[in-house]
Amino acid sequence: MLSMDDSTKFILKRLIRRIPLQMLQKTLSKWTYLREDLDSLDFKQSKYIFTECLLSLFEEKGTTVKRITELEMIYVIENPNQGMWHGFQLSDAEEDAPTVDLIQFKEQFKAHLIELNSHVSIKIKKHTDEAIWIRIAWGSNFTNPNHLKPTYAVHHLQTPYVFVNGLSLKHKPLLFQALVLATRYGSMKDAHLSGRKLTAIRDLLMRQYQQMFPTKHPRPLQEKNPVPTNPKIEKEQAVNTENRMQVACEAFGDGKLPELQKAVYQLETKFRDDSNKTLKSREEPFRGVVEFSSTNLLESLRHAVSSGIAATPVSALLPAITQKRRNRFIITDK
Amino acid sequence: MSLLKPFSKTPEINGANILLVENEEQFQQCLAETIVLQNMNVNVNVRLARSLPLPMENEKSRPRIDLVVFIINLTSEASFKSAETSLKYLDPGYFLGKVCFVVTKARSAVPPERLIAVRKLAASLHCPLLYAEDQTTEGVTTTAHRLLAILRVTAGLIPMATSLYLSTLTCYTLPSDTDQLNFD
Amino acid sequence: MAEASNSFSSELGSSNETDESVSNRSSNRSLRLAEKSQRKSEASDPLLLALKYFSEVKAGTPRIGNDVMERNMALVERVGLSRGLPPEGISVMLDYAMSLRMGAVPCVRVLKFLIPATVVPQEAIVRGMAWLCVGKLAVSTQVFFLKWVLTIFDMIDSKEQLRAIYGFIFSFVTEEQLCPFICHLLYLLTRKESVRPFRVRKLLEVQTKLGRQPFLMHLLSLYKVFCPGFVAVSLPSGIRGGFRSHNSQWKTVLSAVQKKNNGQVTSDICLTLGAKCKPNSRKRKCNHLQLPSLSSSVQRSSSTSRKVFPLEQLHSFSQLLENLHRIELPSQMGSLLGSSLALCYLDYVQDDSAFLRLNFWLGHALHEEFIFCNGEEGSGSSSESLNFLNRLLSTQHFLQEGFFSTEGFLFKFLNVWDGAFLRPQILGLLSDISVVPSSCIRQLLFEPLMQLYFTSTLYFKCSVIECLNNMLLKWLTWHSVYALKDGLDISLNSHTPMNMSLSGLMDSIMELVHFVGRLATVGLQLEGCHSLLLSFTLDFYETVCDMFLKFDLPLVAMPPLGVFLPALFATDPVSVDRLCFIMYRYKKNLMAAKCQQQETKQGFHISSQTYREFNRYQLIIVSCLWNSKMFQPGMAVEVDQNILALSKVPEPSHSFNLIHHPAFLGYALDFHHKCWPERESIDLNSIKAGKQWDWYLEFIFTQGFQGLQQFFQSFISRHSVAGTTAQGPGDTQPTSG
Repeated sequence: MLSMDDSTKFILKRLIRRIPLQMLQKTLSKWTYLREDLDSLDFKQSKYIFTECLLSLFEEKGTTVKRITELEMIYVIENPNQGMWHGFQLSDAEEDAPTVDLIQFKEQFKAHLIELNSHVSIKIKKHTDEAIWIRIAWGSNFTNPNHLKPTYAVHHLQTPYVFVNGLSLKHKPLLFQALVLATRYGSMKDAHLSGRKLTAIRDLLMRQYQQMFPTKHPRPLQEKNPVPTNPKIEKEQAVNTENRMQVACEAFGDGKLPELQKAVYQLETKFRDDSNKTLKSREEPFRGVVEFSSTNLLESLRHAVSSGIAATPVSALLPAITQKRRNRFIITDK
Repeated sequence: MSLLKPFSKTPEINGANILLVENEEQFQQCLAETIVLQNMNVNVNVRLARSLPLPMENEKSRPRIDLVVFIINLTSEASFKSAETSLKYLDPGYFLGKVCFVVTKARSAVPPERLIAVRKLAASLHCPLLYAEDQTTEGVTTTAHRLLAILRVTAGLIPMATSLYLSTLTCYTLPSDTDQLNFD
Repeated sequence: MAEASNSFSSELGSSNETDESVSNRSSNRSLRLAEKSQRKSEASDPLLLALKYFSEVKAGTPRIGNDVMERNMALVERVGLSRGLPPEGISVMLDYAMSLRMGAVPCVRVLKFLIPATVVPQEAIVRGMAWLCVGKLAVSTQVFFLKWVLTIFDMIDSKEQLRAIYGFIFSFVTEEQLCPFICHLLYLLTRKESVRPFRVRKLLEVQTKLGRQPFLMHLLSLYKVFCPGFVAVSLPSGIRGGFRSHNSQWKTVLSAVQKKNNGQVTSDICLTLGAKCKPNSRKRKCNHLQLPSLSSSVQRSSSTSRKVFPLEQLHSFSQLLENLHRIELPSQMGSLLGSSLALCYLDYVQDDSAFLRLNFWLGHALHEEFIFCNGEEGSGSSSESLNFLNRLLSTQHFLQEGFFSTEGFLFKFLNVWDGAFLRPQILGLLSDISVVPSSCIRQLLFEPLMQLYFTSTLYFKCSVIECLNNMLLKWLTWHSVYALKDGLDISLNSHTPMNMSLSGLMDSIMELVHFVGRLATVGLQLEGCHSLLLSFTLDFYETVCDMFLKFDLPLVAMPPLGVFLPALFATDPVSVDRLCFIMYRYKKNLMAAKCQQQETKQGFHISSQTYREFNRYQLIIVSCLWNSKMFQPGMAVEVDQNILALSKVPEPSHSFNLIHHPAFLGYALDFHHKCWPERESIDLNSIKAGKQWDWYLEFIFTQGFQGLQQFFQSFISRHSVAGTTAQGPGDTQPTSG
């Protein structure tokens, strides 16, 4: 009769454990598969007992792994800000690249990937915001697809960007090749941009946030800063403040900034002191890494500049995050 | 180098002016807003500066400053350094009771050497040293009240009391051994 | 698979099946326990049957696919997480888990739901520690077990056996990963006997390996408290970071279970004990000031048969009296603060090490929370600090003395205080401090207070004066109590190493009185002689003027002119009246002192300066209020006539007598109106003549000005009333030295 094997149960348990109790109801209600049974579930129970009930329900229905991955995708699409997202850029578009549509992409991608590795489980779903969500569980000749560590890739059609989460080095070339072929591009490379918030990475890479470009004519302060000041309070260095705000906005942008968690600068340089021959003649460069981290790095940097904590003018390296749209830099000698 | 002088301008009738110097602007702004909101019989004006010297172009419009307050955030070395360099642009006349220090975040895990350095600075200049709770509105209000209490004297609004008189009572004297007597 | 789909079948049926399958292992103590409880309650209680299964299951039984185990486990788990497990259940399950009879996987799961409903039998913990020694457990599981022990530590029914294996537990200190938890456990178990030189050496050895870790420092500093001779290294007075709290895994469930159980059983106990009834599972941790609770669990009557009587079972005073000889102090001295009975006991035993431990805990908690707090100054944490300080205050009031760790904290805190943060509590604690030697009173107390006082608002000034008044009262009370007991050589506080001679005490009090004199003088000037501040100042001098008669302290100190004159010329009659009362009391004290001096020929010496000041003040009052000779030569306040003339006030010397004094002018007008209701024009001078003056005095005295009445009745001899001079009665000879 209908029944579930142990690994399916385990996957389901793991998934339910991942979803916080208060979000379970919302997530489950979006799952068409469970539509009729939703009323029979009691969401007020403790999570442990609720999971047991759910398990027995699925057991009755004979739920398959495929169904469970559906639920997982619903959850991940709703809550994309988990794990580390990496941005990638496609380049060398072929002539027909702008004409690729969803069905074509789906077919092509699946076909190419399965050609490279037949032991994968692929699921593709189009989200309301035009993004294509791809879930891949990787397997090998000897193992079944591992649904516990799936890779997620998000691609917006007609854009050269892909965002990937949970990709191991081993599977990287496979995914790249399948994507490049399916999107009709020539190659794909790392955009050196990563963070916990998919939306932030996407906004930054696709320039979907409010930006400000350097101008020679600063706007009057009132326009930017409508807060009325008390006539009894006077700022002696108001001009400086204004300048700093201007500099900060020019460097990092105006309004709400995408939430990045860190920026890494790696410096590679030669040893320059003539007195020390051994170090100077070294082939390997010296490496130093500077890492800035914050819950909202760009906002922090802008505040540091506008409030005068950081010295002005700002080093060109910091605004490079928004200008070059990346948060990992390698600085080498000219 | 232009020195800020305490007596180069005539005082205003029923008025007092306070200058807040802090290289970070958040607490300064908040404190200034609280000060002007207080119901006083006199007209109090607040000037804000990040550091001294003050810009020359404001020289004309600037009223006589009755009290200069240096705000030092103990968690930031830059804050202390900035106050230290700014002190050089004050006329010595100010140190006869018209300067005071406000220290924030003293009750947190800050290096004890910095606290001692601030104390030494205040003691060597014979200035009062106030501690402020900058995180709560109650703390900000208290600081505003205390600064106004000093300002009233330094602006000459209290009969028979002068700033020098007050400073002999409130100036910070450094304990002989900075680590306090051990009572454990 | 077929079995799995069956898993929700009746529990009763399936447990019968287990009954048959288990073998008989009567030697197992856990089984006996299970059997015992089985006899007590229904034989078919599914929980008991499940526990029985776990007590009997053989080592090596397969886990995967074992539905019987899974079902029983689920049952116990559900009970544990909802109601908590009975003591026997804890024993059985802990033994089952730690013995790894079914491998390591169930072990962590069991520990997670091991929530005690009432208490944890200490035998279970001892057995658990024994399993730790077998060395089969993974390190992470060992850590998990220790975290669990620390979480439920308060619920262990007795710690005697655990203390007996102190050395055994100590041996784990060398294990790097276990060390923080072992140190914490040892910290809770340590008694004076446990501190040995070789243990100190071992800890120092570990410290050189691991660095100056807070957990090692804490344990070492506790050792130092017990045996200062053994620990020669210097430890910083404030160690950064306390023991971490490890209860996160169990916190919510434990508190829910306790709330449920306490609500059912112990609501009456909480009331009688007057302690906090909050469910408690807290260990000492930084930034957290909840008092450890004494009544953390309901104790069963069976444990009263033990030799020691835990303080947490104490619910009435008669119980305290019965068990006085066999009371055991709790491991967490902080919990004493919550219970008045415990404090009674503490005060009775006068156990130095108990006080040391309490002070150690307190000093550290205060330091962590208020001086080393890490920036997160939310409103939530400040209400917690508020409760803590209030509790501390009421404890100190109950014991009628301050803890010296509180004093140490206050002297530090005053230096970084803004004068508003927790003001009532801080000033309350400050007024409780014991006598500070005059050599350091200036630096510790006066300097920081001066800074705050002169830069703060009127209300702060008033509360400082009030606080210093309370402080003086406490010092005087201690003096009067101890002076009676030990003659004149007093030791003020038996728990402080500070013994103070009478002259030392007098020096300190003199310093304090002079200090307040200075504060009041300048404060009154800065605040425009505000009557509120004046009132608090007069409160203080009401204490000062009676030091000899009320508290038997041979000391008389006069207020400075800066206080005297504002009070005399105050616009409210109450201040003038109180000043007169104070002067009257001064006279009583001086007379008594003089009598004593003459009778015993030794007494104490009052300087002629004091007499001079007193006579001068008295002369000022009399000449000002009574005979209108103010400003005249020889009348204490001399002002040049030419200058007075500049003021253009007619008859300046009359302007402050009882009729024209701004405070009494209203009464004079009232009196005038009552005497001569038909008069059109008011002539206040007519009051001064003849009988009207006497009537006017009567009138004033009936308005409630007792101070004035006592003053004039004792200073003015009434015979001169007969000689009706225009200026009223002449003054009598003041008492002179």
